[in-house]
Parts: sequence; C-alpha cells; structure tokens
Amino acid sequence: MKRESWILTLVMLLGVPLLAQGKPLTVTGIRGVTFGAVLPGVPRVVLRTDPANSGQFDIKGPKGGPVLLSFVLPLSMTGPGGALLPIMFGSSDAGFSSTQSIGSQVGFDPRQPTTVIFPNNGNVSVFVGATANPGTNQRAGAYTATIILTVTYL
Amino acid sequence: MRSITKLSLAAAALVLTGTALQAQSNNASITATASVQTPINVVGAQQLSFGNVFPGVNKTVNATDLTNGGRFDVSGQASTPVTLSFTLPATLSSAGNTMPIVSYTGVHAALATQVGGVAFSPAAGATPSLSGLGALFVWVGAQVQPATNQAAGVYTGSIVMTVVY
Repeated sequence: MKRESWILTLVMLLGVPLLAQGKPLTVTGIRGVTFGAVLPGVPRVVLRTDPANSGQFDIKGPKGGPVLLSFVLPLSMTGPGGALLPIMFGSSDAGFSSTQSIGSQVGFDPRQPTTVIFPNNGNVSVFVGATANPGTNQRAGAYTATIILTVTYL
Repeated sequence: MRSITKLSLAAAALVLTGTALQAQSNNASITATASVQTPINVVGAQQLSFGNVFPGVNKTVNATDLTNGGRFDVSGQASTPVTLSFTLPATLSSAGNTMPIVSYTGVHAALATQVGGVAFSPAAGATPSLSGLGALFVWVGAQVQPATNQAAGVYTGSIVMTVVY
C-alpha cells in the first residue's frame, strides 16, 4: 500500500506540470493590415515591420511551451459591388516576437503552419504584412478581408 | 495486485486528462483594408489637324494651338502624380504613300483653356499631377514635311498616349 501511494503521488506530480501548461490560451487581434490609399495598377506593399500598417496579434499562452501558429489567409479583399482586390502573402510576411516588439521579430511563412516556443512570461506577438495587387481598372472604393490566426498548444 | 491494476487505471486517466487539457486551441482575426482610388480614364478629345498641306512646304501645328493641336483628356484620382508616355509615328500614310512627321511638342495643363500649361517633349514623356478635381489636359503638336513631289491625298497616323499612376 505504501508503494501504491508513492506511485500515485508520482503520477500526480507528473500530471500537475502538464495541467499547469493548460492555462487559458488567449489570442487577440490588435491591429489590421492597412493598405490605405491604393492606386489602380500600382501594387501596395505593407511590411510586417511597419509599425502603423502591419497587422498584429497578441497571444498569451504556455510559458516556454511549443505552440503551433496557423493562418487562414484571404486570396482577395472584397469591395464595392463584390469587386475583388487580390492580396498576396510572401514567405516572410509574418513575424514572431517573443518580446512583443515589432523591432525584434523572426520572420516566417504565414502560408505554412509554424511551430514556435513561447518565452517564460508566455506573452508573444505575431505581426503580418501583405501585398495588395490592384488591377489597372480596379473599381474605386473600400475593400476588406479577414485574416485569422489559430494558435494550438502542442 | 488488484489494487495495482486500479492504480494503473487511475494513473492512465490522469495522464489522459492532462493530455486532453493540453490540446487547447484559440484564434482571433484582424481585417485587411484598402481604399482603391479612382482609375485613370483617357480620352482622345481632339485630333492633331494639319489641314491643307502643300508639297515642299513644311507645316507646323503648335501644341499651344487650341484649335488644331491634338488633345487628350485625362481623369483620375485628384492631386495624384501620373506618368505620360507616347507612341509617336515617324510618318503619316496615305494609300501606300508616306509623309514625315517630326518635331513633336506637348503642353499639359489642369484646365482645358491651357491656362498655366507646362511645355514638355512628348518623346521624353512627362510626370504631371492631376488637378484637385482629378483632371489633366494634354496637347500635342508636330510638324509635317511633305516632299516637293508628295502625292496628293489624306494622310493619317496614330498618336498613342499612355497614362499610369
């Protein structure tokens, strides 16, 4: 019985750290990707390092834990009368910052699920850039699209 | 031994519970936005017209000639710079005969009256801005050089202007 108690205690101790990593995971959309005024036929690039126009997500999660980041990216923005404005994401258009600083990012491909390690305080930011490619006869007006970031504990 | 088995089940349940809690996921969204400005529209508003031309006598139509100069009307996003470029014919044609056209001149202005117009070389192009109302007017002039034995007829050629932001 004594041995059984030891085993049970050991299992519980092992279980506690695992459960502790299961603290609430929160993802918050802080800022959208803003292309501003776009001229027909003239591509507009927003860099992930652009402090005013890049997109930003803040994440609170596991301290020191591996986490999978995956995006749902739009192919186009929708405008007046259903007009479409193509939007493109390049291989380094997303950035992960373990200090939540736009000036300290590690670039990654938002088109591919990416595993990152959280810092010990569990707070990180993800920045996003993109390129809008209006046609020469692009209809004037406001265009929007939604970018979704899903974060999963591994 | 039986209690060991129960213990194993309990331990397995704990581990499984821990694993299930760990497989947590969350998401959020942001919006991408763009404001597309007015597309450029170009209209060939007036032909470059030399009128009657006599063999051996050069004839010039200046870009400042509001009646005979060629004119393009451009509309687009207000107060926005554009680039003008031209495809200019070297000759005019008439039923297999040709007549040289040279010395192109240009003027661009915010008003159709040409007030405040700026001279430029069509061969080199120009980078004016659309007016506060999104308008731009461009005139083209040139000189034709008929030979002394130039065949009579109506001679034509196409001048193409391309405008981009």
